[in-house]
Amino acid sequence: MVDHILSILIFFPVVAALFGVIVHKDSIRAYGIAVSVIEFALSLWLWFAFDGQSSGMQFMESIPLIPAFGINYTLGVDGISVFIIILSTFVTLIGIASLGEIKNLKNMIITLLVLQMTMSGVFAALDAIIFYVFWELSLVPMLYIIGAWGGPLRIYASIKFFLYTFAGSLVMLVGMLFMAYFYNQATGEWSFAILDWYRLILPENLQLWLFVAFFLGFAIKVPMFPFHTWLPYAHGQAPTIGSVILAAILLKMGTYAFIRFSLPLFPDASVFFMYPIAVIAIIMVIYTAMVAYGQKDIKQVIAYSSISHMGIIIIGTFALNVEGISGSVFLMLGHGVVAGALFFLVGVIYDRRHTKIMSEFGGLAHSMPRYATIFGVMMMASVGMPLTINFVGEFLSLLGFFKQSQILTLLAGVGIIVGAIYMLTAYKKLFFGEITNEENRNLPDINKRELVALIPLTFLAIWLGVYPKPVLDPINTSVESIVQLMHDKAQTAEAKRRIPSPLSQMTIPVSSIEEAH
Amino acid sequence: MEKYLYIALFAPLVSSLFSALFTATPKKTFTGIIASLLIFSAFVSSSILLTHILGGGEPIHVEMMTWMATGDLYIPFGFVVDEISVTMMMVVTLVSTVVHIYSIGYMDHDKGFNRFFSYLSAFVFSMMILVMSDNYAGLFIGWEGVGLCSWLLIGFWFHKESATWAANEAFIMNRIADLGMLVGLFLIYWNTGTLQYEGSFAAFAHLDTTTLSWIGIFLFIGAMGKSAQFPLHTWLADAMEGPTPVSALIHAATMVTAGVYLVVRSNELYSLIPHVGLFIASLGAFVAIFAASMALVNRDMKRVIAYSTLSQLGYMFAAAGLGAYWVALFHLMAHAFFKALLFLGAGNVMHAMHDELDPFKMGGLKKVMKWTYIMMTFASVALAGLFPLAGFFSKDTILEAAFAEHHFVIYSVLLFTAGLTAFYSFRLTALIFEGEERYKLFGIHPHEAYKYMLVAMSPLLILAIIAGAFRTTFFGMVEEILGAMEYHIHSHVTLWIMTIGTQVFVILAIMYAYKKYNNAKITVPDGTSAMENSFMYKLLLNQYYIPYAYEKYIVVPYREMSEVFWTHVDLKIVDASVDGIAGIIYNTGDRTSAMQSGNLSTMLKWMVAGLLGMLSLAVVFGLAVRYSDEILAILSGLGV
Amino acid sequence: MMEIGLNHYLILSTILFAIGLVGVMRRKNLLLLFFATEILLNSVNIAFAAISHYYGDLTGQMFAFFVIAIAASEVAVGLGLLIVWYKRHGNIDLDSLASMKG
Repeated sequence: MVDHILSILIFFPVVAALFGVIVHKDSIRAYGIAVSVIEFALSLWLWFAFDGQSSGMQFMESIPLIPAFGINYTLGVDGISVFIIILSTFVTLIGIASLGEIKNLKNMIITLLVLQMTMSGVFAALDAIIFYVFWELSLVPMLYIIGAWGGPLRIYASIKFFLYTFAGSLVMLVGMLFMAYFYNQATGEWSFAILDWYRLILPENLQLWLFVAFFLGFAIKVPMFPFHTWLPYAHGQAPTIGSVILAAILLKMGTYAFIRFSLPLFPDASVFFMYPIAVIAIIMVIYTAMVAYGQKDIKQVIAYSSISHMGIIIIGTFALNVEGISGSVFLMLGHGVVAGALFFLVGVIYDRRHTKIMSEFGGLAHSMPRYATIFGVMMMASVGMPLTINFVGEFLSLLGFFKQSQILTLLAGVGIIVGAIYMLTAYKKLFFGEITNEENRNLPDINKRELVALIPLTFLAIWLGVYPKPVLDPINTSVESIVQLMHDKAQTAEAKRRIPSPLSQMTIPVSSIEEAH
Repeated sequence: MEKYLYIALFAPLVSSLFSALFTATPKKTFTGIIASLLIFSAFVSSSILLTHILGGGEPIHVEMMTWMATGDLYIPFGFVVDEISVTMMMVVTLVSTVVHIYSIGYMDHDKGFNRFFSYLSAFVFSMMILVMSDNYAGLFIGWEGVGLCSWLLIGFWFHKESATWAANEAFIMNRIADLGMLVGLFLIYWNTGTLQYEGSFAAFAHLDTTTLSWIGIFLFIGAMGKSAQFPLHTWLADAMEGPTPVSALIHAATMVTAGVYLVVRSNELYSLIPHVGLFIASLGAFVAIFAASMALVNRDMKRVIAYSTLSQLGYMFAAAGLGAYWVALFHLMAHAFFKALLFLGAGNVMHAMHDELDPFKMGGLKKVMKWTYIMMTFASVALAGLFPLAGFFSKDTILEAAFAEHHFVIYSVLLFTAGLTAFYSFRLTALIFEGEERYKLFGIHPHEAYKYMLVAMSPLLILAIIAGAFRTTFFGMVEEILGAMEYHIHSHVTLWIMTIGTQVFVILAIMYAYKKYNNAKITVPDGTSAMENSFMYKLLLNQYYIPYAYEKYIVVPYREMSEVFWTHVDLKIVDASVDGIAGIIYNTGDRTSAMQSGNLSTMLKWMVAGLLGMLSLAVVFGLAVRYSDEILAILSGLGV
Repeated sequence: MMEIGLNHYLILSTILFAIGLVGVMRRKNLLLLFFATEILLNSVNIAFAAISHYYGDLTGQMFAFFVIAIAASEVAVGLGLLIVWYKRHGNIDLDSLASMKG
């Protein structure tokens, strides 16, 4: 069974969702929780069976689909994807477990299970077409979640979300097709297998074009400035559970794809585009943090803060060394936990007051002390307090990029200042001061159902901050092999220099601060 | 010995978690008692470690577990007890034990009693990590941890707008400095390949001066935030919004000295870059006089003491910058004792006066608060640096160091500041304890603090008096690790003249303060006197208008820019262009849908139009292909 | 006297085609639209026949017959539909046939 665990992880939820249609609506909650517990247990088993010392793909399975064009159903995970899969099953589990009383609960649970399938699929796929299929399929449940359970502007938001990301991924699809065509030209065989593509060394000018094609698809998903405007609408209108999964997992598809596709396939182009992308990422970090500071709606603050953090992930990814990429992968997990938790937390007050405008609140620490505590922990995790999960990722990402450019890292580091500004200000508006609005005086504190979601997330946020080793080690192993691959494939001398081989001994450069470009 | 290291480190954590269990319940005195006992056990362990180190024992170095390891980076949770850290541990645990016990009384009526102890112990834990870590990353954990606890404790009374504002200000300002510190860490890592003190210190010797200077500068930027050096100093005075024990522990004795600790700890770096050291010393001297000048006129008791802390931190940096690391550390220690004492005394006065902070509204309190009066007077004498109290030995050594290193500008600035220090300290004690009982006008009935609070303060009183006696022992201990040397003025006569001159100057300043403020004519100022309307007075009272400038030129523009970024750039440009593209497509669809009117005749017309269009294209391309040679010839004839 | 050649037939065919095209575009009466369609088809027939004769290949003439047959059946079906339409709506004006509006 362990040989097919990835297929089981992907298709178990969707089969369960089909059966869910006939489950009575009174027992659907229990059914959903049961299914997601099993799914989560399966993913834990995946981790248990996973060999952290091995850098290659594990649990590979392959079934030919269209042999004439080399399209296979190929799955496999390495240290980079395995934890994101576990995070996705985990978030789905706590998401379903903490669902409140909403209309059409049954549809919601079925939709979430289908969404779970697409999420596991994207991160386990090793064939570009399979990847693409799951990538696009993931839009459908999310479109439905926003469109059916969202706020007043839900139709606008969901269509914007769908069309925007869809348009980007079509360009990516063209890139994939061209990649396969090029593979055919080079080897005489058709293949969409990513591992096959890894072996291909592309001419530099071709790399640039393909990089841009892939970049569009990924950048919209991440979302990178200036393609980010769908995100605040999607978050603003989505129900709590939608925002949680969107922030925790769906955004990670973009950054994950950068590491899975862009870096190893186009090492020279990655070096070529490193500075422009870093500049975009810095704009993301600082600009969206400032926009977040200007928000009146707490959920929008968190939404923009997501973009800001994604900027740091991008910075880490394009550090092109082991420290930076490991950090960015770790920060994906960290941001998943922390942003997920923050959206849950916003959902808590939204359920009670049906507003998210910060000026409606104030002094909540008096009436909801436990809520204020958990929010405080998560806020501190979000601003990157050491010994919380985000610090590890942010530190490593910035540390990695520092090797490439010191000035740009300094600018990106401004994120830790502006991040503290909007977060602390928002926290102050919500929780501190006297209670000004009488409606807030007798708000019930956080209840058991909500704690089910928040306690595990809080635990994770601290545990992985204090002891990231069990997760960071496998990530490190896989990242080292990717960086080595990039180093070997790099053609230009510039790229060879920028992408250090992790296997060679570290040399201590005796140089002063030099202005990088 | 490792056992004691772990006790010293983790007893505060246990204490914090234990108290945290009761945060949701009403006040329980035992949380305070148990927390105090646990902190006391950390103090005892630290003392045992101190005797071990003093007895010539090897530094204790443990590595608990890996924290981060990726690529070539390896950061463990490693802790080291050597001469420097054990000094800091003693200071931290001693003052925090006193403050914990004191707080049982001080926070007696506060409904956040249990929460307070949880935060306070968490602070001690962070501080212990900061001083005990054996690498820069671990130091950064503690660094941020104390920042977090400081945020929690300044904003402890979170219903007060001013308190939460001050908390956020402190946190954000520290973050600015932390960025500098992070960059310093990155520089160290990429140039030496490690963040361990041992490894990086060894590698520093091989680096060129420019790199080292940058490392030194960025680390010092970090220190500037935590130690509230100019221009990041405004948060410290505002942080006085927190409960007074917090001010004593965090904003006087321990956290704010973390910057000094960092410089002392990195002495192997700074001794390689004396020009950066000189900058640090100059800034320190500047802050010393700058802060002292603001303390001269302030009418908030706690703020006066806060400025005095700032000024003393300037002294420490001046010493550290000049390479006299051991003197800086010694002054840090002595200062921790008398300044914490001063703050706790101020806390007693605040309690007695029902949170009144204006010393002009007090007066004559020595009759009702005899012990507090004695303690605060001794603390002030120590602060002023009179023989034979602690401040004399430490401060005088700083002056000697500046003189011996031939930095006479720094020397004179520091000397003059010593006079100012004496003046404002005794202005404060005179206003509070001497003269008419002005508080009666305000209907206040003061009372002395609980006995056990006074007993708890007594170790600090004793140390503030006798700490100078440890000077030789301390010197012997840190001599090797800090490359310490005694500063010898060439001739004994000069030394005597300097010492006595300083003493006389200080005594004169004290007498002037007493003369001016210990008389019956003192009234609560109402803003009409000539002095209050003088330019200098206003300038000093408004802290050189620096907070206003920050508000006007940084905070407000930042807020406005954020608004503009959101409402104009994000919504009106970025998002509008996305919607615009979508709109173009939608509109094209709307317009062209008119073609499909369903009218057969119209459709036929479109069909014919399409037919003709394609036909003409076919003709054009056909002709073009047919006559391509001729066309090319014509084009080349035209010079295209 | 100029001899009648292929070009003349083709010109006649083009003229007829143009007339038919204009008719298709301008006429609003469904019946007249049929007439115009017939003219279009027959212009093609003339061209077929003429080119067939020119090349001495009978395929073109065969195709012309084929077109005539198609045209006949088209008219038969079309007129039937037209009569039904007239019975239901009382006119055969093209502008009233807009139920396919997109």
